[in-house]
Amino acid sequence: MNALLQKVYDFVDERIDLKTLEAKMMKEPIKGGSRWAYVFGSCLLFIFIMQAVTGVLLMFYYIPSADHAYASTQFIIHEVDYGWFILSYHFWGSSAMVVMVFAHMSQVFLWGAYKTPREMIWLIGLGLFGIVMAFGFTGYLLPWDQRAYWATTVGVEIMDKTPVVGDFLARFLKGGPTPGQMTLSRFFVIHVMILPGALMGLAGLHLFLFRSAGPAGPFRGTPEELKAKTDFFFPRQVWKDIVAMAAVFLTICTLALIEPVVLLEEAKPDPGDYHPEPEWYFLFLFQLLRWKAFSGEFGQFVAATAIPGAFMLLLAALPFIDRSPERNIFKRPIALLSWTVVMIGILVLTVSAILNREFLD
Amino acid sequence: MASVQPKIKSKVRCLDGEIGEIVHVIADPISLEVSHIVVRANGTQRQVPASAIAAVRDDSVELLCTASQVAGYPELKREDFLTSKEVEIPHLENKVHIEPGELLVPFPPLEKSCARRNFFAGFIHVIGALIGLPLVWPVLRFIMKPMYAPYDNRWLKIGNVSKIKAEDVGVQFIFKKSFKDSVLEREEDKNHWVIKATPETLKKIYKSGDITFTDEKGEVVWVNKQTVPYVAFSGKCPHLGCGYKWRSHKTRGQVFLCPCHLSIYDSAGTVLDGPAPRPLDVLPIKVSVTGDIEVIDIEYKAGKKELVRIL
Repeated sequence: MNALLQKVYDFVDERIDLKTLEAKMMKEPIKGGSRWAYVFGSCLLFIFIMQAVTGVLLMFYYIPSADHAYASTQFIIHEVDYGWFILSYHFWGSSAMVVMVFAHMSQVFLWGAYKTPREMIWLIGLGLFGIVMAFGFTGYLLPWDQRAYWATTVGVEIMDKTPVVGDFLARFLKGGPTPGQMTLSRFFVIHVMILPGALMGLAGLHLFLFRSAGPAGPFRGTPEELKAKTDFFFPRQVWKDIVAMAAVFLTICTLALIEPVVLLEEAKPDPGDYHPEPEWYFLFLFQLLRWKAFSGEFGQFVAATAIPGAFMLLLAALPFIDRSPERNIFKRPIALLSWTVVMIGILVLTVSAILNREFLD
Repeated sequence: MASVQPKIKSKVRCLDGEIGEIVHVIADPISLEVSHIVVRANGTQRQVPASAIAAVRDDSVELLCTASQVAGYPELKREDFLTSKEVEIPHLENKVHIEPGELLVPFPPLEKSCARRNFFAGFIHVIGALIGLPLVWPVLRFIMKPMYAPYDNRWLKIGNVSKIKAEDVGVQFIFKKSFKDSVLEREEDKNHWVIKATPETLKKIYKSGDITFTDEKGEVVWVNKQTVPYVAFSGKCPHLGCGYKWRSHKTRGQVFLCPCHLSIYDSAGTVLDGPAPRPLDVLPIKVSVTGDIEVIDIEYKAGKKELVRIL
């Protein structure tokens, strides 16, 4: 068997130079050695692949029509063997993706890994962050239940407030003046065709740029120490990555088992007793819009467009503003403070949105 | 014949003694074999054909010719060659084991003297644009098709006033609205709120006089007279489009409250608290002698101070 495999390997190698390819992929030296802190990017790739696999499976039964989306999703949950599991995995996988994106971005930020010569990796990474959020936003309309309908209604109204292009953007996404079949069709095609294509392209570019610029390595240690600890991507880092992926896989499976997806009532323009609320990772933005300070047309623009827009612009400008080569987070007080403030801010807003629920019931 | 593998810096010996060393190796891009070695001798670099090589040893190469014959070979014109790093020739570096920077391949004559390189580059861009540009408008129109639907000015029956038992109390009317949604014939549960207003509330609602509703051309579709006590509010919250409720508030008593972003309105639709930019939207209403309520299901853009009709 081994001899046969070797023959196949040699056959391929002779034609496409497999050995060089293998060396380029696996024998990348990691300054200062493999680390658990470096697993987040690989985990994201793993989660995405699993989302693609479960997503394709769901499409075997899902019908993207306002008349049948809800029923076909119920069919997946109640009739199709393990349908509940595949759907719940996809659902929890999306949350895992958002958590992992935050972890990955935080690691890169705290390690100062966005600095020269890795600015382009950081910029493409921000694009990928946007795509992940767009995946979440377009994905949860698809079951066409009350949560889906209202999150989309409000989300698109928020986009409508973007200056100049807002009206066009909102109508473009809704495929009309109000949410309906065209909205579902558009969100569906964006979710299953456009975003996966964009994500694969940008993630490929992200990896290519990462390999071209090289990993940043730890922020402490003399060149001699770093050299002494250097090892290749394979096997130690790959081993750490796969252990982390297994942990992520088990976590998602457990969540899918304990808390499988339950649909609310079918979507309709009367919320009934349902208190509309977006997915947890948009709650902080949702809560921000409740503030009296952001009332009225202008306040809404500030909370929904200006603040998130300025924040993203600031992140994009970060490697160009912060040009000091210092990477040690303990010697970058402003960076550490800003990160802490943003994280606490998001946490407080999210928790207060959850606490607000009780006052509504 | 197995391909010869001369090395850079190998000594080169002719029939009549050592004459210099190899500085480059030239490969044939088709056969992927060494075609020439470039020998530095007496300050010149000569292209010696592979056929003149007698033997390749570890650190030397022996030639079949004399030093004077070598001096007769053409001098290397560096500009006629590229290094193997600068071109993409698959398998070349596997076949000829020379550092990529020292391994030369001929610069194809057609490429070297491509006087119209700029012309070709421009041509490629123009043709690309000629393919792409004509698609822009049709694709844009294709995608925009459903975006701007005409206003729907149908009167819809939503219920009967007998449901309203008290004045200045919000009463929800849920009704089925059937409509064509692309190719689907759909029916949706919609909801609006109707109040039977006291004269004071009416005064608040109609503080700028009767309310006129117009179509896209600006022509009047309907006028709500302030003498009619029944007022219909669109079920869509003017803040960001959620569905609000009539419910009791700890300090404000009975109010319209939107659970999304906590906007609060009184029975006249006036904003009491929360982020809403304008009062609740009044709809055209007709009440028949039998008490049947009909409305036009107008929808305004949420989040705006002024009324922008979208449906």
